[in-house]
Amino acid sequence: MRRTLAGALVFAATAVALAFLLFPIVAIFARVPPGRLVAQLSNPVVADALVVSLKTSAIAQALVLALGTPAAFVLATRRFPGRPLVVTLTELPLVLPPAVAGIGLIAAFGRFGLLGGTLSTLGIRLGLTQAAVVLAVAFVSSPLYLRQAIATFETVDPDVVAAARTLGAGPARTFFRVVLPLARGGLAAGAALSFARGLGEFGATIMFAGSLQGVTQTLPLAIYTEFAVDFDVTLAMSALLVVVSAALLVALKVTLQWQPSRPTSRFLFATSS
Amino acid sequence: MRRRRLALLGAVAALAAAIAGAALATRSSSPPRLTVFAAASLTDVLPRIDARERYSFGGSNALAAQVQQGLPADVFASANVTLPDQLYAAGLVDKPVLFTANALVLITRKGNPSRLHGVYGLDRPGLKIVMGAAGVPVGDYTRRVLARLGLSDLVARSASQETDVREVLGKIVLGEADAGFVYATDARAVKGEVAVFAIPPNAQPKVNYAAAAVNGGPNEAAAEAWVKRLQGRAAQKKLRAAGFLRTGR
Repeated sequence: MRRTLAGALVFAATAVALAFLLFPIVAIFARVPPGRLVAQLSNPVVADALVVSLKTSAIAQALVLALGTPAAFVLATRRFPGRPLVVTLTELPLVLPPAVAGIGLIAAFGRFGLLGGTLSTLGIRLGLTQAAVVLAVAFVSSPLYLRQAIATFETVDPDVVAAARTLGAGPARTFFRVVLPLARGGLAAGAALSFARGLGEFGATIMFAGSLQGVTQTLPLAIYTEFAVDFDVTLAMSALLVVVSAALLVALKVTLQWQPSRPTSRFLFATSS
Repeated sequence: MRRRRLALLGAVAALAAAIAGAALATRSSSPPRLTVFAAASLTDVLPRIDARERYSFGGSNALAAQVQQGLPADVFASANVTLPDQLYAAGLVDKPVLFTANALVLITRKGNPSRLHGVYGLDRPGLKIVMGAAGVPVGDYTRRVLARLGLSDLVARSASQETDVREVLGKIVLGEADAGFVYATDARAVKGEVAVFAIPPNAQPKVNYAAAAVNGGPNEAAAEAWVKRLQGRAAQKKLRAAGFLRTGR
Protein backbone atom coordinates (compact mmCIF):
# COMPACT_ATOMS: atom_id res chain seq x y z
CA MET A 1 0.00 0.00 0.00
CA ARG A 2 2.67 2.45 1.08
CA ARG A 3 4.80 1.30 -1.78
CA THR A 4 2.15 2.08 -4.37
CA LEU A 5 1.45 5.48 -2.85
CA ALA A 6 5.13 6.38 -2.91
CA GLY A 7 5.35 5.09 -6.45
CA ALA A 8 2.43 7.22 -7.53
CA LEU A 9 3.92 10.32 -5.87
CA VAL A 10 7.26 9.76 -7.53
CA PHE A 11 5.54 9.29 -10.87
CA ALA A 12 3.51 12.47 -10.33
CA ALA A 13 6.64 14.44 -9.41
CA THR A 14 8.36 13.20 -12.56
CA ALA A 15 5.39 14.13 -14.72
CA VAL A 16 5.18 17.61 -13.16
CA ALA A 17 8.93 18.20 -13.59
CA LEU A 18 8.91 17.14 -17.25
CA ALA A 19 5.76 19.10 -18.08
CA PHE A 20 7.13 22.18 -16.30
CA LEU A 21 10.34 22.05 -18.32
CA LEU A 22 8.74 21.42 -21.68
CA PHE A 23 5.58 23.50 -21.47
CA PRO A 24 7.15 26.99 -21.89
CA ILE A 25 9.16 25.77 -24.86
CA VAL A 26 6.12 24.25 -26.52
CA ALA A 27 4.19 27.47 -25.79
CA ILE A 28 6.70 29.52 -27.81
CA PHE A 29 5.81 27.52 -30.90
CA ALA A 30 2.13 27.16 -30.10
CA ARG A 31 1.27 30.86 -29.84
CA VAL A 32 2.05 31.82 -33.40
CA PRO A 33 1.64 29.61 -36.50
CA PRO A 34 4.98 28.44 -37.92
CA GLY A 35 4.45 30.28 -41.20
CA ARG A 36 4.21 33.61 -39.44
CA LEU A 37 7.16 32.74 -37.21
CA VAL A 38 9.32 32.19 -40.26
CA ALA A 39 8.02 35.37 -41.91
CA GLN A 40 9.04 37.38 -38.82
CA LEU A 41 12.61 36.24 -39.29
CA SER A 42 12.97 38.60 -42.24
CA ASN A 43 12.30 41.52 -39.88
CA PRO A 44 15.47 43.70 -39.99
CA VAL A 45 15.74 43.67 -36.19
CA VAL A 46 15.86 39.88 -36.22
CA ALA A 47 18.25 39.67 -39.15
CA ASP A 48 20.63 42.22 -37.59
CA ALA A 49 20.50 40.52 -34.20
CA LEU A 50 21.20 37.14 -35.78
CA VAL A 51 24.25 38.49 -37.59
CA VAL A 52 25.56 40.21 -34.43
CA SER A 53 24.96 37.09 -32.36
CA LEU A 54 26.66 34.73 -34.80
CA LYS A 55 29.59 37.07 -35.42
CA THR A 56 30.32 37.83 -31.77
CA SER A 57 29.78 34.23 -30.70
CA ALA A 58 32.09 32.95 -33.46
CA ILE A 59 34.87 35.39 -32.55
CA ALA A 60 34.47 34.68 -28.84
CA GLN A 61 34.49 30.96 -29.55
CA ALA A 62 37.67 31.24 -31.64
CA LEU A 63 39.36 33.09 -28.76
CA VAL A 64 38.12 30.54 -26.24
CA LEU A 65 39.44 27.64 -28.34
CA ALA A 66 42.77 29.31 -29.12
CA LEU A 67 43.53 30.33 -25.54
CA GLY A 68 41.47 27.80 -23.65
CA THR A 69 42.87 24.65 -25.26
CA PRO A 70 46.50 25.19 -24.21
CA ALA A 71 45.36 26.45 -20.80
CA ALA A 72 43.21 23.37 -20.28
CA PHE A 73 46.06 21.10 -21.39
CA VAL A 74 48.47 22.68 -18.91
CA LEU A 75 45.93 22.52 -16.09
CA ALA A 76 45.13 18.90 -16.92
CA THR A 77 48.67 17.58 -17.21
CA ARG A 78 50.76 19.66 -14.81
CA ARG A 79 50.59 19.14 -11.09
CA PHE A 80 51.49 22.21 -9.07
CA PRO A 81 50.62 23.61 -5.66
CA GLY A 82 47.30 25.39 -5.68
CA ARG A 83 46.12 23.67 -8.84
CA PRO A 84 42.66 22.79 -7.45
CA LEU A 85 42.25 26.45 -6.50
CA VAL A 86 43.18 27.62 -10.00
CA VAL A 87 40.80 25.12 -11.61
CA THR A 88 38.02 26.23 -9.27
CA LEU A 89 38.67 29.88 -10.07
CA THR A 90 38.35 29.23 -13.80
CA GLU A 91 34.95 27.71 -13.09
CA LEU A 92 33.76 30.70 -11.07
CA PRO A 93 32.29 32.70 -13.99
CA LEU A 94 30.10 29.66 -14.65
CA VAL A 95 28.17 30.07 -11.43
CA LEU A 96 28.43 33.84 -11.26
CA PRO A 97 25.22 35.80 -11.89
CA PRO A 98 25.49 37.43 -15.35
CA ALA A 99 24.90 40.87 -13.83
CA VAL A 100 27.96 40.34 -11.63
CA ALA A 101 29.94 39.38 -14.72
CA GLY A 102 28.80 42.65 -16.32
CA ILE A 103 29.87 44.71 -13.32
CA GLY A 104 33.18 42.85 -13.23
CA LEU A 105 33.86 43.59 -16.89
CA ILE A 106 33.02 47.27 -16.40
CA ALA A 107 35.20 47.43 -13.28
CA ALA A 108 38.07 45.83 -15.20
CA PHE A 109 37.81 47.09 -18.79
CA GLY A 110 35.37 49.99 -18.48
CA ARG A 111 36.49 53.52 -19.11
CA PHE A 112 37.12 54.10 -15.42
CA GLY A 113 37.96 50.47 -14.71
CA LEU A 114 41.30 49.06 -13.59
CA LEU A 115 42.57 48.72 -17.15
CA GLY A 116 40.49 51.60 -18.48
CA GLY A 117 43.30 54.14 -18.20
CA THR A 118 45.79 51.89 -19.98
CA LEU A 119 43.31 51.08 -22.70
CA SER A 120 42.35 54.71 -23.29
CA THR A 121 46.00 55.78 -23.67
CA LEU A 122 46.10 53.16 -26.43
CA GLY A 123 43.00 54.78 -27.88
CA ILE A 124 40.75 51.85 -27.04
CA ARG A 125 37.32 52.26 -25.51
CA LEU A 126 35.66 48.91 -25.12
CA GLY A 127 32.38 49.89 -23.52
CA LEU A 128 29.35 49.87 -25.84
CA THR A 129 31.28 48.30 -28.72
CA GLN A 130 31.05 44.95 -30.47
CA ALA A 131 34.37 44.03 -28.86
CA ALA A 132 32.62 44.41 -25.50
CA VAL A 133 30.03 41.86 -26.62
CA VAL A 134 32.83 39.45 -27.54
CA LEU A 135 34.47 39.94 -24.14
CA ALA A 136 31.18 39.39 -22.31
CA VAL A 137 30.40 36.26 -24.31
CA ALA A 138 33.93 34.87 -23.90
CA PHE A 139 33.92 35.60 -20.18
CA VAL A 140 30.72 33.70 -19.43
CA SER A 141 31.18 30.88 -21.94
CA SER A 142 34.86 29.96 -21.63
CA PRO A 143 34.57 28.18 -18.26
CA LEU A 144 32.28 25.60 -19.85
CA TYR A 145 34.89 24.82 -22.48
CA LEU A 146 37.79 24.88 -20.02
CA ARG A 147 36.02 22.52 -17.66
CA GLN A 148 35.21 20.00 -20.33
CA ALA A 149 38.64 20.33 -21.97
CA ILE A 150 40.48 19.77 -18.68
CA ALA A 151 38.38 16.68 -17.98
CA THR A 152 39.02 15.40 -21.49
CA PHE A 153 42.79 15.96 -21.43
CA GLU A 154 42.92 14.19 -18.06
CA THR A 155 41.53 11.04 -19.68
CA VAL A 156 44.29 10.94 -22.31
CA ASP A 157 46.53 8.04 -21.33
CA PRO A 158 49.98 9.41 -20.37
CA ASP A 159 51.53 6.17 -21.61
CA VAL A 160 50.32 6.92 -25.13
CA VAL A 161 51.91 10.35 -24.92
CA ALA A 162 55.11 8.84 -23.57
CA ALA A 163 55.09 6.28 -26.37
CA ALA A 164 54.77 9.00 -28.96
CA ARG A 165 57.71 10.85 -27.40
CA THR A 166 59.93 7.74 -27.28
CA LEU A 167 59.09 7.09 -30.90
CA GLY A 168 60.66 10.42 -31.69
CA ALA A 169 57.75 12.85 -31.91
CA GLY A 170 58.42 16.28 -30.41
CA PRO A 171 56.08 17.84 -27.85
CA ALA A 172 54.23 19.88 -30.49
CA ARG A 173 53.87 16.93 -32.86
CA THR A 174 52.75 14.70 -29.98
CA PHE A 175 50.14 17.27 -28.97
CA PHE A 176 48.75 17.78 -32.44
CA ARG A 177 49.00 14.20 -33.73
CA VAL A 178 48.25 12.20 -30.59
CA VAL A 179 46.69 14.22 -27.76
CA LEU A 180 44.39 16.41 -29.82
CA PRO A 181 42.88 13.58 -31.89
CA LEU A 182 42.30 11.59 -28.71
CA ALA A 183 40.61 14.55 -27.05
CA ARG A 184 38.67 15.59 -30.13
CA GLY A 185 35.23 14.42 -29.03
CA GLY A 186 35.44 15.94 -25.57
CA LEU A 187 36.78 19.23 -26.88
CA ALA A 188 34.00 19.45 -29.45
CA ALA A 189 31.46 18.80 -26.72
CA GLY A 190 32.97 21.57 -24.60
CA ALA A 191 32.97 23.91 -27.57
CA ALA A 192 29.30 23.18 -28.29
CA LEU A 193 28.37 23.83 -24.66
CA SER A 194 30.27 27.08 -24.43
CA PHE A 195 28.95 28.24 -27.82
CA ALA A 196 25.39 27.63 -26.67
CA ARG A 197 26.02 29.49 -23.43
CA GLY A 198 27.63 32.37 -25.29
CA LEU A 199 24.72 32.62 -27.71
CA GLY A 200 22.37 33.08 -24.79
CA GLU A 201 24.50 35.68 -22.98
CA PHE A 202 22.39 38.59 -21.80
CA GLY A 203 23.21 40.24 -18.49
CA ALA A 204 26.88 41.02 -18.95
CA THR A 205 26.29 42.14 -22.53
CA ILE A 206 23.50 44.60 -21.81
CA MET A 207 25.53 46.15 -18.99
CA PHE A 208 28.93 46.35 -20.63
CA ALA A 209 28.13 46.50 -24.35
CA GLY A 210 24.74 48.21 -24.36
CA SER A 211 22.16 47.48 -27.00
CA LEU A 212 22.38 48.90 -30.50
CA GLN A 213 20.76 47.25 -33.48
CA GLY A 214 23.33 45.86 -35.89
CA VAL A 215 26.26 46.53 -33.54
CA THR A 216 25.81 45.19 -30.03
CA GLN A 217 22.23 43.97 -30.05
CA THR A 218 22.45 40.19 -29.91
CA LEU A 219 19.38 37.95 -30.19
CA PRO A 220 18.70 37.81 -26.43
CA LEU A 221 18.98 41.61 -26.21
CA ALA A 222 16.71 42.04 -29.21
CA ILE A 223 14.17 39.73 -27.58
CA TYR A 224 14.29 41.89 -24.46
CA THR A 225 13.90 45.15 -26.41
CA GLU A 226 11.30 43.89 -28.88
CA PHE A 227 9.14 42.43 -26.13
CA ALA A 228 7.81 45.94 -25.55
CA VAL A 229 7.29 46.54 -29.26
CA ASP A 230 6.08 43.42 -31.02
CA PHE A 231 5.41 40.19 -29.19
CA ASP A 232 5.27 38.11 -32.39
CA VAL A 233 8.81 39.12 -33.28
CA THR A 234 10.05 38.15 -29.82
CA LEU A 235 8.34 34.79 -30.22
CA ALA A 236 10.01 34.28 -33.60
CA MET A 237 13.45 35.11 -32.18
CA SER A 238 12.83 32.89 -29.18
CA ALA A 239 11.79 30.04 -31.44
CA LEU A 240 14.94 30.56 -33.50
CA LEU A 241 17.11 30.36 -30.38
CA VAL A 242 15.27 27.25 -29.20
CA VAL A 243 15.98 25.57 -32.55
CA VAL A 244 19.65 26.60 -32.56
CA SER A 245 20.13 25.55 -28.94
CA ALA A 246 18.41 22.24 -29.54
CA ALA A 247 20.62 21.62 -32.57
CA LEU A 248 23.72 22.37 -30.49
CA LEU A 249 22.51 20.02 -27.76
CA VAL A 250 21.93 17.21 -30.25
CA ALA A 251 25.35 17.83 -31.82
CA LEU A 252 26.82 17.69 -28.33
CA LYS A 253 25.17 14.36 -27.55
CA VAL A 254 26.30 12.91 -30.86
CA THR A 255 29.92 14.02 -30.42
CA LEU A 256 29.97 12.58 -26.92
CA GLN A 257 28.70 9.27 -28.32
CA TRP A 258 31.57 9.22 -30.77
CA GLN A 259 34.09 9.85 -28.07
CA PRO A 260 36.04 6.67 -27.31
CA SER A 261 34.57 5.41 -24.08
CA ARG A 262 36.66 2.29 -23.53
CA PRO A 263 40.42 2.55 -23.02
CA THR A 264 40.99 -0.13 -25.67
CA SER A 265 39.52 2.05 -28.39
CA ARG A 266 41.95 4.88 -27.79
CA PHE A 267 44.72 3.43 -29.90
CA LEU A 268 42.40 2.90 -32.80
CA PHE A 269 41.34 6.51 -32.54
CA ALA A 270 44.88 7.83 -32.43
CA THR A 271 46.32 5.82 -35.28
CA SER A 272 43.39 6.41 -37.57
CA SER A 273 43.87 10.17 -37.62
CA MET B 1 16.91 2.64 -1.71
CA ARG B 2 14.16 2.98 0.88
CA ARG B 3 15.84 6.05 2.38
CA ARG B 4 16.18 7.70 -1.02
CA ARG B 5 12.55 7.13 -1.70
CA LEU B 6 11.65 8.63 1.66
CA ALA B 7 13.80 11.68 0.95
CA LEU B 8 12.11 12.17 -2.40
CA LEU B 9 8.71 11.83 -0.74
CA GLY B 10 9.74 14.42 1.81
CA ALA B 11 10.84 16.80 -0.94
CA VAL B 12 7.54 16.41 -2.77
CA ALA B 13 5.60 17.01 0.44
CA ALA B 14 7.68 20.11 1.24
CA LEU B 15 7.06 21.47 -2.27
CA ALA B 16 3.32 20.90 -1.94
CA ALA B 17 3.31 22.61 1.46
CA ALA B 18 5.22 25.58 0.06
CA ILE B 19 2.78 26.00 -2.81
CA ALA B 20 -0.20 25.74 -0.47
CA GLY B 21 1.44 28.22 1.92
CA ALA B 22 2.05 30.70 -0.87
CA ALA B 23 -1.53 30.37 -2.03
CA LEU B 24 -2.81 31.03 1.48
CA ALA B 25 -0.49 33.98 2.01
CA THR B 26 -1.92 35.82 -1.00
CA ARG B 27 -5.41 35.40 0.38
CA SER B 28 -5.12 36.44 3.99
CA SER B 29 -3.72 40.00 4.41
CA SER B 30 -6.14 42.92 4.21
CA PRO B 31 -6.11 45.55 2.78
CA PRO B 32 -4.40 44.10 -0.29
CA ARG B 33 -0.85 44.93 -1.24
CA LEU B 34 -0.97 46.35 -4.74
CA THR B 35 1.37 45.45 -7.56
CA VAL B 36 2.37 48.68 -9.28
CA PHE B 37 4.06 48.64 -12.68
CA ALA B 38 5.78 52.01 -12.93
CA ALA B 39 8.12 53.91 -15.21
CA ALA B 40 11.80 53.58 -14.28
CA SER B 41 11.99 57.31 -13.61
CA LEU B 42 9.57 56.81 -10.70
CA THR B 43 11.94 54.30 -9.03
CA ASP B 44 12.96 56.59 -6.18
CA VAL B 45 9.82 58.61 -5.61
CA LEU B 46 7.00 56.04 -5.54
CA PRO B 47 8.33 54.04 -2.57
CA ARG B 48 8.69 57.38 -0.77
CA ILE B 49 5.03 58.11 -1.42
CA ASP B 50 3.90 54.63 -0.44
CA ALA B 51 6.41 52.07 0.77
CA ARG B 52 3.84 49.34 1.24
CA GLU B 53 3.09 48.30 -2.33
CA ARG B 54 5.03 45.94 -4.56
CA TYR B 55 6.73 47.83 -7.38
CA SER B 56 8.05 46.68 -10.70
CA PHE B 57 10.00 49.45 -12.40
CA GLY B 58 11.08 49.39 -16.01
CA GLY B 59 10.61 50.95 -19.41
CA SER B 60 6.95 52.02 -19.60
CA ASN B 61 6.53 50.28 -22.95
CA ALA B 62 7.87 46.98 -21.60
CA LEU B 63 5.50 47.28 -18.64
CA ALA B 64 2.59 48.05 -20.97
CA ALA B 65 3.48 44.95 -22.97
CA GLN B 66 3.46 42.93 -19.75
CA VAL B 67 -0.01 44.26 -18.91
CA GLN B 68 -1.08 43.31 -22.44
CA GLN B 69 0.27 39.80 -21.92
CA GLY B 70 -1.79 39.54 -18.76
CA LEU B 71 0.82 39.87 -16.03
CA PRO B 72 -1.00 40.59 -12.78
CA ALA B 73 -0.51 44.33 -12.26
CA ASP B 74 -2.96 46.42 -10.27
CA VAL B 75 -1.69 49.82 -11.38
CA PHE B 76 0.22 51.00 -14.45
CA ALA B 77 2.08 54.30 -14.13
CA SER B 78 3.72 55.46 -17.36
CA ALA B 79 6.19 58.19 -18.27
CA ASN B 80 3.86 59.21 -21.07
CA VAL B 81 0.16 59.39 -21.80
CA THR B 82 0.18 57.42 -25.06
CA LEU B 83 0.78 54.00 -23.54
CA PRO B 84 -1.94 54.15 -20.84
CA ASP B 85 -4.29 55.60 -23.45
CA GLN B 86 -3.59 52.64 -25.74
CA LEU B 87 -4.27 50.18 -22.92
CA TYR B 88 -7.45 52.11 -22.07
CA ALA B 89 -8.58 51.91 -25.70
CA ALA B 90 -7.96 48.16 -25.57
CA GLY B 91 -10.14 47.93 -22.48
CA LEU B 92 -7.29 46.75 -20.27
CA VAL B 93 -7.12 49.68 -17.85
CA ASP B 94 -9.38 52.37 -16.40
CA LYS B 95 -9.33 55.90 -17.76
CA PRO B 96 -5.75 57.16 -17.25
CA VAL B 97 -5.14 60.01 -14.85
CA LEU B 98 -2.41 62.63 -15.31
CA PHE B 99 -0.52 62.93 -12.06
CA THR B 100 2.84 64.57 -12.66
CA ALA B 101 5.28 65.88 -15.26
CA ASN B 102 8.98 66.01 -15.90
CA ALA B 103 11.54 67.67 -18.14
CA LEU B 104 14.16 66.16 -20.39
CA VAL B 105 17.80 67.16 -19.79
CA LEU B 106 21.13 66.36 -21.35
CA ILE B 107 23.70 64.86 -18.98
CA THR B 108 27.37 64.09 -19.13
CA ARG B 109 29.71 62.68 -16.52
CA LYS B 110 30.64 64.88 -13.56
CA GLY B 111 33.34 67.39 -14.35
CA ASN B 112 32.17 67.36 -17.97
CA PRO B 113 35.24 65.52 -19.34
CA SER B 114 33.93 65.76 -22.91
CA ARG B 115 33.72 69.56 -22.59
CA LEU B 116 30.16 69.81 -23.77
CA HIS B 117 28.45 73.18 -23.73
CA GLY B 118 24.95 71.89 -24.28
CA VAL B 119 22.93 70.18 -26.95
CA TYR B 120 24.62 71.97 -29.82
CA GLY B 121 27.98 70.28 -29.39
CA LEU B 122 26.50 66.81 -29.67
CA ASP B 123 27.29 66.22 -33.33
CA ARG B 124 31.03 66.28 -32.63
CA PRO B 125 32.57 63.09 -34.08
CA GLY B 126 33.65 60.42 -31.61
CA LEU B 127 31.19 61.43 -28.94
CA LYS B 128 29.38 58.42 -27.50
CA ILE B 129 25.73 59.23 -26.99
CA VAL B 130 23.20 56.89 -25.39
CA MET B 131 19.45 57.25 -25.54
CA GLY B 132 16.29 55.33 -24.91
CA ALA B 133 15.15 53.04 -27.71
CA ALA B 134 12.23 54.00 -29.93
CA GLY B 135 8.99 53.20 -28.13
CA VAL B 136 10.52 53.73 -24.69
CA PRO B 137 9.06 57.08 -23.53
CA VAL B 138 12.45 58.67 -22.86
CA GLY B 139 13.61 57.47 -26.28
CA ASP B 140 10.62 59.01 -28.02
CA TYR B 141 11.08 62.32 -26.16
CA THR B 142 14.77 62.29 -27.09
CA ARG B 143 13.91 61.79 -30.76
CA ARG B 144 11.46 64.68 -30.57
CA VAL B 145 14.10 66.98 -29.05
CA LEU B 146 16.71 66.01 -31.61
CA ALA B 147 14.23 66.52 -34.46
CA ARG B 148 13.40 70.00 -33.20
CA LEU B 149 17.09 70.81 -32.95
CA GLY B 150 17.81 69.47 -36.41
CA LEU B 151 20.04 66.77 -34.91
CA SER B 152 18.01 63.71 -35.90
CA ASP B 153 20.99 61.96 -37.47
CA LEU B 154 22.40 61.51 -33.95
CA VAL B 155 19.84 58.74 -33.46
CA ALA B 156 21.57 56.54 -36.01
CA ARG B 157 24.98 57.46 -34.58
CA SER B 158 24.10 56.64 -30.97
CA ALA B 159 26.26 54.14 -29.10
CA SER B 160 23.42 52.31 -27.41
CA GLN B 161 19.63 52.25 -27.34
CA GLU B 162 18.50 51.49 -23.83
CA THR B 163 15.25 49.97 -22.62
CA ASP B 164 14.61 52.45 -19.84
CA VAL B 165 15.87 55.80 -18.59
CA ARG B 166 17.82 54.34 -15.67
CA GLU B 167 19.91 52.30 -18.10
CA VAL B 168 20.82 55.53 -19.90
CA LEU B 169 21.71 57.09 -16.56
CA GLY B 170 23.89 54.12 -15.60
CA LYS B 171 25.89 54.25 -18.82
CA ILE B 172 26.75 57.92 -18.17
CA VAL B 173 27.51 57.52 -14.47
CA LEU B 174 29.85 54.60 -15.23
CA GLY B 175 31.51 56.63 -17.96
CA GLU B 176 30.84 54.12 -20.73
CA ALA B 177 29.04 56.82 -22.70
CA ASP B 178 29.77 60.54 -22.93
CA ALA B 179 26.31 62.04 -23.05
CA GLY B 180 22.68 61.03 -22.83
CA PHE B 181 19.15 62.28 -22.43
CA VAL B 182 17.34 61.56 -19.17
CA TYR B 183 14.65 63.22 -17.09
CA ALA B 184 15.59 66.07 -14.77
CA THR B 185 14.55 63.93 -11.79
CA ASP B 186 16.95 61.13 -12.78
CA ALA B 187 19.85 63.56 -13.03
CA ARG B 188 18.86 64.82 -9.59
CA ALA B 189 18.82 61.29 -8.17
CA VAL B 190 22.56 60.98 -8.93
CA LYS B 191 23.43 64.57 -8.05
CA GLY B 192 27.17 65.12 -8.12
CA GLU B 193 27.74 62.17 -10.47
CA VAL B 194 26.63 64.00 -13.60
CA ALA B 195 26.73 67.45 -15.14
CA VAL B 196 23.33 68.63 -16.35
CA PHE B 197 22.47 70.79 -19.38
CA ALA B 198 19.01 72.18 -19.93
CA ILE B 199 17.34 71.72 -23.27
CA PRO B 200 16.29 74.91 -25.09
CA PRO B 201 12.66 75.65 -24.16
CA ASN B 202 11.50 75.56 -27.78
CA ALA B 203 12.82 72.00 -28.11
CA GLN B 204 11.61 70.74 -24.73
CA PRO B 205 8.92 68.07 -25.12
CA LYS B 206 5.88 67.79 -22.90
CA VAL B 207 6.65 64.95 -20.47
CA ASN B 208 3.44 64.02 -18.66
CA TYR B 209 2.94 60.95 -16.47
CA ALA B 210 -0.34 59.08 -16.48
CA ALA B 211 -1.45 56.23 -14.23
CA ALA B 212 -4.38 53.87 -14.50
CA ALA B 213 -5.87 51.00 -12.51
CA VAL B 214 -5.70 47.71 -14.39
CA ASN B 215 -9.07 46.15 -15.13
CA GLY B 216 -10.17 42.74 -13.99
CA GLY B 217 -7.77 42.26 -11.08
CA PRO B 218 -8.88 41.22 -7.59
CA ASN B 219 -7.76 44.59 -6.14
CA GLU B 220 -9.39 46.85 -8.68
CA ALA B 221 -11.17 49.14 -6.21
CA ALA B 222 -8.03 49.58 -4.10
CA ALA B 223 -6.05 50.25 -7.28
CA GLU B 224 -8.47 52.99 -8.36
CA ALA B 225 -8.21 54.63 -4.96
CA TRP B 226 -4.42 54.40 -5.13
CA VAL B 227 -4.31 56.11 -8.52
CA LYS B 228 -6.58 58.87 -7.20
CA ARG B 229 -4.26 59.34 -4.22
CA LEU B 230 -1.39 60.12 -6.61
CA GLN B 231 -3.15 63.40 -7.35
CA GLY B 232 -3.62 64.12 -3.64
CA ARG B 233 -1.64 66.68 -1.73
CA ALA B 234 0.67 64.27 0.13
CA ALA B 235 1.76 62.48 -3.02
CA GLN B 236 2.14 65.71 -4.97
CA LYS B 237 4.36 67.15 -2.24
CA LYS B 238 6.70 64.14 -2.43
CA LEU B 239 6.74 64.33 -6.23
CA ARG B 240 7.58 68.05 -6.16
CA ALA B 241 10.32 67.41 -3.59
CA ALA B 242 11.89 64.89 -5.99
CA GLY B 243 11.88 67.47 -8.77
CA PHE B 244 8.76 66.40 -10.64
CA LEU B 245 6.63 69.16 -12.13
CA ARG B 246 2.99 70.15 -12.20
CA THR B 247 1.12 68.49 -15.08
CA GLY B 248 0.19 70.38 -18.19
CA ARG B 249 2.67 73.24 -17.89
